[in-house]
Amino acid sequence: MIQHLDVDGVPTLLAPTAGPMRAGLTFRVGTADETLSRAGITHLIEHLALAPLGLADYHVNGVTAPAFTMFHTQGSEADIAAFLTAVCEHLSDLPVARLDVEKDILRTEWSSRGAAAVDDIPLWRHGARDFGLSSYPEWGLGALTADHLREWVARSFTRENAVLWIAGDRVPAGLRLPLPSGVRQPVPAVSSALPQTPAYFVSGARAVVLDSVVRRSAAAAVFSGVLERELYRSLRQESGLSYTTTTAYEPRGDGYATLRALADALAEKQDAVLGGFVDVLAKLRVGRIEQADLDATIAKREDVLGTAEVDAARLPGYALNVLTGEPNLSIDEHRAELKAVSLADLHDVAGEMMSSALLLVPRGLTADWAGFVAAPTHSSDTVEGTTYPAKQGAGALRIGVDGVTYLGTDGPLTVRYADCSAMLTWPDGARQLIGSDAIVLHVEPTMFNLHPAALPVIDAQVPADRHIAMPARTPDTIPQPSTADQPARTPANRPWWEIAAIVISGVAVLLVGAVSLLVTYVVAAAGTEPGEEWLWGVVVAGWLLTVILALPIVLLWRRRRG
Amino acid sequence: MIAAMPAPLPAPTFDAAAAYPEVNDLRKALDAADWPAVQAVFADRDADGRTLLVGAAGDQVGTEPFLRRVYDAHPTDQLAGTLLGNQLIRAGWRIRSAYRAQHVSRAQFEQFHEHLRRAERVLIDVTARYPDDAAAWTQRITLARGLQLGQNEARRRYDRLAREHPHHAPAQAALLQQLCPKWSGDWDRAFAFARECAQAAPAGAPNAVLVAEAHLERWLDFDTQRERTAYLRSTPVVDEVMQAGQRSVLHPDFVDRSGWVWVRSTFALMFSLTEQWPAAASQFTALGNLGTEYPWAYVDDAEGYTKYRAKAYAKGGQS
Repeated sequence: MIQHLDVDGVPTLLAPTAGPMRAGLTFRVGTADETLSRAGITHLIEHLALAPLGLADYHVNGVTAPAFTMFHTQGSEADIAAFLTAVCEHLSDLPVARLDVEKDILRTEWSSRGAAAVDDIPLWRHGARDFGLSSYPEWGLGALTADHLREWVARSFTRENAVLWIAGDRVPAGLRLPLPSGVRQPVPAVSSALPQTPAYFVSGARAVVLDSVVRRSAAAAVFSGVLERELYRSLRQESGLSYTTTTAYEPRGDGYATLRALADALAEKQDAVLGGFVDVLAKLRVGRIEQADLDATIAKREDVLGTAEVDAARLPGYALNVLTGEPNLSIDEHRAELKAVSLADLHDVAGEMMSSALLLVPRGLTADWAGFVAAPTHSSDTVEGTTYPAKQGAGALRIGVDGVTYLGTDGPLTVRYADCSAMLTWPDGARQLIGSDAIVLHVEPTMFNLHPAALPVIDAQVPADRHIAMPARTPDTIPQPSTADQPARTPANRPWWEIAAIVISGVAVLLVGAVSLLVTYVVAAAGTEPGEEWLWGVVVAGWLLTVILALPIVLLWRRRRG
Repeated sequence: MIAAMPAPLPAPTFDAAAAYPEVNDLRKALDAADWPAVQAVFADRDADGRTLLVGAAGDQVGTEPFLRRVYDAHPTDQLAGTLLGNQLIRAGWRIRSAYRAQHVSRAQFEQFHEHLRRAERVLIDVTARYPDDAAAWTQRITLARGLQLGQNEARRRYDRLAREHPHHAPAQAALLQQLCPKWSGDWDRAFAFARECAQAAPAGAPNAVLVAEAHLERWLDFDTQRERTAYLRSTPVVDEVMQAGQRSVLHPDFVDRSGWVWVRSTFALMFSLTEQWPAAASQFTALGNLGTEYPWAYVDDAEGYTKYRAKAYAKGGQS
């Protein structure tokens, strides 16, 4: 039984445990609530709230997830009360003196984390917004001020937006939760960057990963277990192609759940792992699902439901349901749901999984042959504006009043200012625009014949709060066109001064040429008196000047034709 | 008395219906767009029989609309899916034509691949529903090659099939092509696989034909006539072709079952090329005037057939 209580206006859940007391305070705010240019704000607040507790002699921890943030601990009643009260006090009065130190710690945490195969999936599915933000670095840290943080706390870390859960026999004596009052925040709307599914993208990972979105249900949770058994049997036991074969089912808080499957692969067997993976998916999609797998998965879940600790164990998930407004079932209701799951239900889940699928395939492979379309790597449209050719190669940059397009040989990349999630800016003038659809556009001033006024246009059009200042780059990391390969430019992009230069040179050539001709004629026809030989010098100099003046015309003309 | 003039040898035919009467029934059923009749031809056939008939159905140009209709009406039907998938592969391959990769235009390649992708999607479903369908898996091995899905993926498909059908010679031949250098394989793997297939199958089974085929492919791959001649005269090659023959077509237990014309044709050619004329003659005698496009296409089709047959009979004696 889970009891519903109230502590200082915070909904509180209590369930018995035979072990030590545990407790957590969960807020309905996470990275999905942020924007790219403020990314990291929730995590930074989580760190600041825990920072003064760093040397406590009991286990404390914080978690910042896409849709929630949780502070939790385990220990004596007094320790737990002290911890939770302190967290709330620090949230209400952030220790902003530690702001810069904590920012550095977060940057270190990011750079030292191991990149996982699944890290890129959110941005491919959702773009550079809401549930896609967990793929990105915490780029907002640099610009975040104490005021930004206080604003975010006032919105998100309120007693109405929190749930307390305790595994133990009672609410610890003396526990206070001094949180400001606010409103419960709904789960952010989920964006999609995929015009079509099933889709696939290519990654450097040595694994095949399937990401899908299915309706939250007991059948979907069971299906996840069945899929894992099928992958293990097919890719590991029978063919020895994979070592790790796992699946994960995770409710998203909006009535849907993320269902993922992963199979790793040796570098030289990746093609076969992908093939085997596709065949496992096909087997379930056509409904050839083993009754034994269904029975085994249900039995395993029933075992969990039968343990004495089941209520204590499900407190964190239960708290999330309270926060997101999703129903919570009793253990008996869970049992009944589980029992009712049929092979036909699993077949339905398989269909949902496939129709929403996003498949990650190792580099060098594709999945179009298996019916997956390539997820977009280019934009479908371009902006109007002035086109600046690249100093090298066939690319060009088009800067307009609505946005910027890079016209490359593989297709255009367009980021409109209104849809620009963030723009990274470097002191050397380089810019990187990131569209809300996750399209990335590099503007390297060294690589394009940009008009000096072009960059300021971009800077002015992208709202200032989306600019992210990046540290200076060392000269060797700034790209430079190689001198060996200067391509001919297209006539349409000639600078105006070329024509002017040709015209002015032309007039000068005509004038000087005419004078030279005249002097030559006069000197040749009339002859020179002794002492007037210098006139021949004038003739030679005149013709020399004509040739020199004609030279720019010839050179510019040849460049045009080239 | 004047000795009777020997009757001229009948011209060779590579028509499958000449060797297998059921192919004729299948063609009639396909031409009539009579699905129950098509099903009847396939009823009670073993894996070799089915794969042979599916291959023969692929030669029938213009049946795609009919098969598409049947498949759309019965998307879970094993035979409809296999036949449609195979038809799409063959149509694609006709576009690609018999040229090697560098001679195929970009547009041809795109159409070829589009056909193969459509075929693959149909056959993924067939093998998902009927994982023991040897004909469907055999097609998918060929698809892995055409779609360039990789050596390991082709091998995985073969292994999947071999779990149910450990000695399915047409599937082995499909994988052997993938293992050849022309499809980014290498000779070591190609020969190892061919020998493994020959050894694993019981004596008298057709599978040793893989060894003969591997030597044939190796011979064709040499750049100069001098190298080719030297290869066919080398004792290990001559001996291994003979041993392969003794394990299959020359073995007393060998029976002319589905696919036998291809097996004997390959040996007839390889015995001829290695100048083992009596053995070659015995295969030509067994063939009568029958043959298959593969391997005879490699030696000018009927012309090569006639030439080698005449030589074999002259030097090896007509039995």
